Formats: sequence, C-alpha cells, structure tokens
Amino acid sequence: MRRRLAVIAVAALSLSACNANSSDGKEDKGGTEKGGTLSILTSASSVTLDPAKSQNLAITTLGLLVRRLTTWDIQPGKTAKVVPDLATDTGTPSDGGRTWTYRLKDNLKFSDGTAITSADIKYGVERSFAPELSGGLSYHKNLLVGNDGYKGPYGGQGLSGIETPDEKTVVFKLKVPYGDWPWLVSMPAFAPVPKAGDAGPQKYGQNPISSGPYQVESYQQGNSLKLKRNPNWDQAGDPVRTAGPDQIVFQLGQDSAVVAQRLIADSGEDRNAFGASFVPPAQLAQIQQNAGAKQRLVTSEPGALAYLALNVTRPGLQDLKVRQAIQYAVDKKAFQVASGGTVGGDIATTLITQGIAGRQQFDLYPADPSGDVAKAKQLIAETGRPAPTLTLLVENGATDVSQAQAIQQGLVRAGFTVNIKTADEEAVTAETTGANADYDLTLASWQPDFPSANGNIQPLFESTEVGNGGYNKSRYVNGEVDALIKQATGETDPARAQGLWAQADKRILQDAPVVPLIYTKNSFLHGSNVQNFFVAGFPAYPNYLKVSLKR
Amino acid sequence: MTAVRFVGGRIVGALVVLLIVSVGTYAVFYLLPADPAQLSCGKPCTPQRLADARAFMGVDVPWWQQYLDFLGGLFAGRTFGSGPAAVHCGAPCFGYSFRLDAPVSTLIADRFAVTFSLATGAAVLWLLLGVGAGVLSAVRRGSAWDRGAMTFAVAGVSAPSYLVGLLGILLFGFTLDMVPVGGYTPFVDSPLDWLWHLVLPWCVLAFLFAAVYARLTRGQMLEVLGEDYIRTARAKGLRERRVVGRHGLRNVLIPVVTVFGLDLGQLLGGAVITERVFSLPGLGSLLLEAVGNVDLPVIVGVTLFSAVLIILANLAVDLLYGVIDPRVTH
Amino acid sequence: MNFDVRKDRWAAAGALTVALFLLAAAFAPVLCAIEGQDPYTYDLDALDSSGVPVGFGGGISADHWFGVEPLTGRDLFAIVVYGARTSLAVGAGATAVAVVLGVLIGTTAGFFGGWYDRVVSRTIDVLFGFPSLIFMIALGAIAPASVPRPLLVVAVVGAFGWPSIARVLRGQTLVLRTRTYVTAAVAMGAGPARVMRREILPNLRATIIVYATTLIPGMIGVEAALSFLGVGVAPPTPSWGRSIGDAIAWVGTDPMFLVFPGGALFLATLAFNVVGDGLRDALDTRTAG
Repeated sequence: MRRRLAVIAVAALSLSACNANSSDGKEDKGGTEKGGTLSILTSASSVTLDPAKSQNLAITTLGLLVRRLTTWDIQPGKTAKVVPDLATDTGTPSDGGRTWTYRLKDNLKFSDGTAITSADIKYGVERSFAPELSGGLSYHKNLLVGNDGYKGPYGGQGLSGIETPDEKTVVFKLKVPYGDWPWLVSMPAFAPVPKAGDAGPQKYGQNPISSGPYQVESYQQGNSLKLKRNPNWDQAGDPVRTAGPDQIVFQLGQDSAVVAQRLIADSGEDRNAFGASFVPPAQLAQIQQNAGAKQRLVTSEPGALAYLALNVTRPGLQDLKVRQAIQYAVDKKAFQVASGGTVGGDIATTLITQGIAGRQQFDLYPADPSGDVAKAKQLIAETGRPAPTLTLLVENGATDVSQAQAIQQGLVRAGFTVNIKTADEEAVTAETTGANADYDLTLASWQPDFPSANGNIQPLFESTEVGNGGYNKSRYVNGEVDALIKQATGETDPARAQGLWAQADKRILQDAPVVPLIYTKNSFLHGSNVQNFFVAGFPAYPNYLKVSLKR
Repeated sequence: MTAVRFVGGRIVGALVVLLIVSVGTYAVFYLLPADPAQLSCGKPCTPQRLADARAFMGVDVPWWQQYLDFLGGLFAGRTFGSGPAAVHCGAPCFGYSFRLDAPVSTLIADRFAVTFSLATGAAVLWLLLGVGAGVLSAVRRGSAWDRGAMTFAVAGVSAPSYLVGLLGILLFGFTLDMVPVGGYTPFVDSPLDWLWHLVLPWCVLAFLFAAVYARLTRGQMLEVLGEDYIRTARAKGLRERRVVGRHGLRNVLIPVVTVFGLDLGQLLGGAVITERVFSLPGLGSLLLEAVGNVDLPVIVGVTLFSAVLIILANLAVDLLYGVIDPRVTH
Repeated sequence: MNFDVRKDRWAAAGALTVALFLLAAAFAPVLCAIEGQDPYTYDLDALDSSGVPVGFGGGISADHWFGVEPLTGRDLFAIVVYGARTSLAVGAGATAVAVVLGVLIGTTAGFFGGWYDRVVSRTIDVLFGFPSLIFMIALGAIAPASVPRPLLVVAVVGAFGWPSIARVLRGQTLVLRTRTYVTAAVAMGAGPARVMRREILPNLRATIIVYATTLIPGMIGVEAALSFLGVGVAPPTPSWGRSIGDAIAWVGTDPMFLVFPGGALFLATLAFNVVGDGLRDALDTRTAG
C-alpha cells in the first residue's frame, strides 16, 4: 500500500528480473521459485499453533510448521488424495480395520536437530487428550483403545491404544473398524511433539518445535505471525511441500473487505500477498469489472454445502408437512445472489457435496430455484394451522445477514413470519451446538474435515451429535439413519460404503430436517507476484503448502 | 492535609466504582447464551470432554462463585487444572484467557501500546487544532475564518466516525495510495512504519474531536472575553494578544481540560470503532474479539482496565484544576 | 437575546431540514406508496448476475427513485425513508428516556443533597467509567429474540445517556436551591414536591430543552453505530447505520448505495446540531455575548 521509493524500485527490479528469467529455467523442480516474503492477509486475530488444539486443514497454516503421519495431495483439477507424510505409506490395516500400522521415513529431524521417533508421534496424540489442550479436531479420540477417562500424558500415564514397538513403528488400536483412518492421521494431533521440548500446555503453542519447512520467528496475537525457514527440514523426503518463500508473514485481524480492496489495488508489498478469507460479494462484483484483478481471482469448484437447518424439536417445526412447505418456500435464487451470484455457488438439492466419491444427484422437492410458493401454501393448508412464526439465528457478518434476509423474504411469501436474530460467530456456534437451542432456523455451511461422504453426513445427522458441541443443528434424531451411519462407517469396501451413504442422504432429506441451499464456491484473491496459487474442489481453500513468489 | 484526604477519599470511591463495574460485567456476560468451554471442546465433542473442559476452566460453578474466584485471583493468584500441566496465573491475576493461552494482564499490556499510540497522537493533534481554531474563531468573531471553522466544526461533530474513517481509507489509502491500509508496526520495530500506519487514524480521530474542542473553546472564550476583568485589562491598555493569552486562555482551559481528561481516558480504554475500522490491534479490538469469542476473562479484564483509566483521568482532572486555577480548593 | 441574522438563517435551515425528515418518517408508507415500492420486496431482475444494480447510479429510475440495494434489489428510497423512521424514533425515544431519568435524578440529587446525592454522584461516575458501547453490544447479543429490538436499543442507549444531563442539572439545582425565592418558598412551608415543580423546574426549562436537542443527534449516531456493528435493530427493518455498513464495501461498484443513507444520516445529525446551537444561543444569553 505504501508508496515509497525503495518499494517501487524493488518491485521494478523483480518485474524485469522475471521477464528476463521466464524462459531460462532458473526455477527448480516443480516450477517453484525460491525466496521472497509472502504475506497472508486474514481476518482471524489469533492462530492456534499447538497441534493438539488446532482445527487446521492439512494444507493451511499449521501444515507449514508441522508434518503428520499422512497428509493431503491437493492439485488443481484432481481429486484430493491422502498421501504419506512422515510415514512411508498411508497405513496398513489389520484385524478387519481395527489395527493400523505405520513406519516412519528415514532421516526425519525436528527444527532443533533431534531425530523424530515413533515416541514423538505417540506423545503428540496423547497430549490431544489433555483437557488443558482441548479444542482440536477430535475424531480419533472416540476411536482409540484406552480413551475412556484418559486425560493426557502430563500425569505420567500413556494411552494403551498406541504402541511403539521400535523407534520407527507406530501401531494404533481402534475400538471399532474405521475405513477412513488414513485421513484421520493427517490431522494436526498426529504431528510429532518431542516430550523433552514440551514446556507445558500453555507454553508449547507459543512456538511449537517444527517438523515442516518453516518455524515460528515471532508471533504477536492480533497483529502478526512471522515464519522463517527450518534449516533441518529436508525437501527430498517431503514431496507435498514446496517451501517457496523464504519468509511468510500472516497479517492478523484484517477486515476482509479491506483485504479484498488491497489485493484489487495490487500495489507495493501487497503484490506478494494473498487473502485467506473469502472475497465478499461486493468485491466479487467489483472484480468482475476489473480485468487485472479478475485474472488474480481464484474460485473453487462447488464445495461446502450451505444449508438452512430446521430445529425439528421446536413446536412450529415438529410437523413434517411444515418442514416440507419450507423446502418449497425457500428462495434459493435470492440466497445465491446474496452469496455473490453464480460465482458464489450452485443451487443444491443433496447433502453429499459435489466432488465427493459416490455422490448421487437427486431432488426430492423439485421446484424453480426461486421456490414453489403455491406448493408450500398448499402443504401449510393441509396442516390445518397457520404457518408458524420462526426465529432465524445467524451470524452478524454482512454476508450472513444478507443471506438471512433472502431466506426470510422467501418464507414470508408462503405466510411464515420470520424474525432474524443476529449474534457473533462464536455465540451462534455455541448456541446451535449447545444444549439450549433457542432458535427455529439457522444458516450453516459445512465442509467435511476429510473428503468422504462420511464427513458430509455423520457429523450433521447422527443422534449423538445433538447438543454438547455437536453440529447436528437440526437436532434430528432417527434410529433408522443412525443404523445406516453405523453400517456405512464400519464398511471397509469403498463402493459399498458409498452406496450406503447415498441411501442415508435420501432417507434424511425425506424427513426434511435441512434445506440444501447452494454448494458454495469460495473465491480468493492474490497479488500479482504470487504463483502456484490454486483452490481445488475439496478442500475449497488455497493450498498454502505450494504457494510461491515470482522472483 | 486536605489534599491527602481528598485523594484518599477519591481512591476509596474509585475502588467501590471498580467493584461495581466488575460485578456488573460478570453478571451481564454470564447471561450470554454461550458456554466458553463448549467453544474449546473440539470437533467432534463429547459430553465427557465438555465436562472436563468446564472443570479445567473453572466455569462449572455459578457465576458469583466464578466472580469470587476472580477476586481471589487478584490477591492470591490462581491455578487452573492440577498436576504438572496446571496453568498458573500469578497475583495480581486478572484472569487467564484459554482461547489465547495467555494471562489477561499480558494481553492488555501487549495491546495497550497500540491504543496508547493511537490515543495520545490523536490527542496532541486535536488539542492543537481544536483549541487553536476555537481561540482564533473567538478573537475574530464573525469573520470568514470564524464562519468557515465553525461550519467545518459542526460538520465534524455530526459525522459518524466510521464513515469518516472508511472514506479516509478509500481516499488516502486506495485512491491516492498515500498511506498503508490497516495494520500496526510497533514503534521499536520501525518508528517510521509506526508513524506511517498511524497517520490516517490520528487525522480521522483528531478531525472528529477537534470539532468538539473548537466549538467548546470558542464558546468559553467568548464568554470569558465578555467578563469584567477582561474589559478591565483591555481598559488598562494591555495588548489584545496578552489579554487573550494571559487572562482568556487560562479560564478557557478549565472546561477544556475536563472534557479532555474524560475523552483521553475513554480513548485509552479502547477506541472500539476506530480500531475496528483501521484494523488496529488495540484494546478496543481485543474487547470486540473477546465479546465475539465469549472470552469472559478478557472482557472483564479490559473493562476493568478501561474503568481504571477513566477514573484516573477524572482524578487527574480534579488535581489539575488546582494547578490551572489556584482559587479552586478541594 | 441576540438576533444574528446569519445564525438565524442557519438555525432556520436546520429546523426546516429536521421538519422534512420528521415528515418523511411520519409519511414513509405514503411516500413509498406514491413511488409504488416497499423496503422489503426483493427485485432480483434489477440486478446483474453478480448482484450489482443494473443501470445508472445504482439503478435509479422512475420506479426506483434512489436506485436499488445490491444483492437484493430492494428499493433504496423506501429503505432510506423507513430508515428515517427507525433513526428518528430510536433517537427521540432514547433521548426521552435519558432526559426523564436525567431530570428526575439530577434535580433530586441537587435538591436533597446528603447521602442520596453522594450515591447519585458515584453512580454517575460508574456510568462514565463503563465502556458503554461494549455493554450495548453484549446486551444486544444476550437479549432473546422475543424482545423487540427497537425498544431494547431505546432502553439501553437511554440508560447510558442520562448521566451527562443529570450532572449538569444537579449542579444548577445546587445553585438554585440557595436562591432567595426558593428559600423563601421553603420557609413559607411549601413541600419539596411543590418547590421542585414551581420553583426549580421552570428555571431549568431552558437547560433541559437545549440539552435534549443536543442529545438527539448523539443518540441517532449511537443507534447507527450499533446497527453498523450489527447489534442494532434487526434486519430487515431498515436502518441507516446498517445500510452504511453494507454500502461501504460497495462504494467501488455502486457509490450511490452509500451516498443516500450516508447523506441522510449526516444531514439529519447536522440539522439537529444546528438547531441545538441556535436554541442554545437564543435561550442562553450568556454565551450569545
């Protein structure tokens, strides 16, 4: 942003250097140029760096700092694959999917130069059970043997479900067969943590000992996180991380509209930056009229499902007819426009999202994208009661409020009265996932934590996920669906599992606990010096591990 | 002796005020429909893990018990959890943010530097601009300058800060590309960058506040200039500059100092909207984030801190009266 | 009394503007009926595929006098005049709450003195010490959806607005109490209620009127700020503050979306401030010199 001579001079230099070098092959393998300082502009004000507490996807912030047993290979135009990271393969199952064995690669080192051993993996997973370190992705915690009452390694106890027969071998023992386990060990809790370097739960997250290409240089909560190279990281043993920039700076707490404006302007240091937040609809429209910025806009394939959850426990929504009426009354077109138009997403009719293996396309409530008001009114008339008054709880961001109003005006057409209640993001999450559900409707968006139909269905519709922090925001309980989910989760044959998930998809929508709205497309903007910036269908976020700068 | 008793009385009063503010804050924020433990339970969560997180954070007891724990922490420090992994927060413990993994006092100290930079820089600007413009307007009453300045001032008083701030960003940040947009660099890292990032927020705040001060100063000055002793001074043949400077300004300063103390005290406690508009990581931003994250320890800590600042500012104003105008006795 | 013609012209213009806003707010449904629009109906046909209004100046036309809102196609003129309703009603309501509380508490504290006065003074200190904006945000977050938002905003903004007027009235009452005609009335056996009503309040009338007028623009500003921060009146009830918050992001593509609500808020606040200045000059001979 700043106009200073030095910056202009540097920019000019790099521009000419780039012209001179574009064809003479100064790039190293994989087309990644090395060097420079990459800025990542984000609205988040703090970053959770402790692997036990992190909910990061494998390809974002924490993936730059720590490696896990497996990780994701995300390439443009290809489906997401789980690939070995610290381990030599994605895991060898035995005992019908109850035991998973991993071997570590050779010559693995932490940033302090010490060797990474199987004990460090075990210790890292054990830490994630400590109440002091709660908050991370916890799928593994329900599965590992010995999890009952286990409170982490700080009291001296180990977890019996993890065995380390030698320095290079880790064996996980599960209570039930779990076909997607190779995806789970790509989660942050499966990053190695050296026991000797763990100064306690409140200290470790300030500067975790790194196993990836970068380590923390400085971290000022609310302001910036600076990463520098980890000299002990070996490129040869890490095929997924390209580690282009010499330094990566996260600018924290930035307004997402201002970030988009800065990246549209593309001046000074912002040429070396990209935005980690979605580009808001207003800036999307602005970019459509700006050819230069349009080239730097990267839109994902349709990914996360945006849906309207109907709280089926509320008096007004216990009647299936009323919920079906809502399916017809909702104006998906207006919702789509409020989300940025066609660049914001495609109209959705199913729960399993596009790009997930085994998805079947169907529409139980066929109607024009703007809804079928007559059909909705007819269904309401069949109930013999007037359409109920409903409270719609949403986050107070500008886009959320526009989306809520789009839903509201759609339902009003069929005779519903809808009161919008806004609250901060965390407060909405707390209310919709907590015990006291004082809402009838809420807007939500769900991107699976791993690319399997399991991730689309189980967290949102199993009866165990109601309240207590679970994401079953419709509070939908159906024994038949629970049984289907259980059967599909334990199924190790992918084709058969996929068939079961598709069956669950239809069965759930027959009860109409949610209205699928759109499969959202996420748009991100980057500066003109940023290279290798792409967004796949799953996950619909940029792959931080491959981004580099033009030199 | 009376001065000592005065200050002592004020301090006791201040402590009572702080106690009420802290009880009020606790009670109000406890009613939020959000369970802080639930937000850090992880995904997916189970009832057992939720209960563990609640117990560890000390939120599994009624709010008044939590408040007493908080008061106890102020004097004796607190320990969360038990065993080798326990989190210690030494006295005076203003609470511990589990979300940010830091004692609230540390967080406040980190963020206060930003707010302090913002508030003091802007205060210097607006005092100079506001009082200067006000005095000039009063002295040249009815002139083109007076009319222009006062029109400008009434516009400044009427304009919402976020609108002025955002338009400033659009004009100077994007269209003219003169200053950086958003962010903060600590003074010790680079004084130039520090200055560069703060110029626009300073100017915006100063514009809005200077308008208030210009109107206030002008009004007071006109009143003072109409008083008998000024007429006497003029009649004695003193030069106008001396009349205004010596006799006028001194009396104008009392209301200005009163308002200034309150304004500065409030700003130092967090300029919520300005910090948000300019993405400045100050106390106001910390507080807004904390409200959003239901981070109760941070909310209470920052609220109390800002109340302390306002009370100190009040006290300073009272003491300053004596310096400006020796006739004022306590 | 001072009859500065130019000042009076200013004040008159301010009063006229205030009157126009009041009329627009009162007759918002009529005005919208003439235009043939309302602030709630979506018109997606007025937008292009990325949600931007089609046509000149954000879709200004004979149908949409101020154009339409991006992403929804709702009529901006209707939103602005209904927004005037929200802003003025909340501003006036909150001012009324603050003035009533301020007069009751301030005059009684000044009149009776003693421990009651000390309690009031401390309470005023406490309220000045509260980061009130954060409190309003928090209250906005905890209030159940069944509580009407406009009432909540009026109550909360008013509850934090009374200390300044109470402090001033307390000071003036302290002075009035020592005046001979008050002591005379008391000596003749008049009860405190009668003295307050007959002797004190009439003498405070000018101060109260001036203070109320100068409070209104501030209150309008607070409502707009709360809506800007997303905790004011609930959507889709139009509010200038929320429109401004939305419009800022669109200023590059649809500047008129910001100009109309932003201009309305600025003009209304300015007009009230000018009227307030005029009243102060007219009623307070001291500052008019």
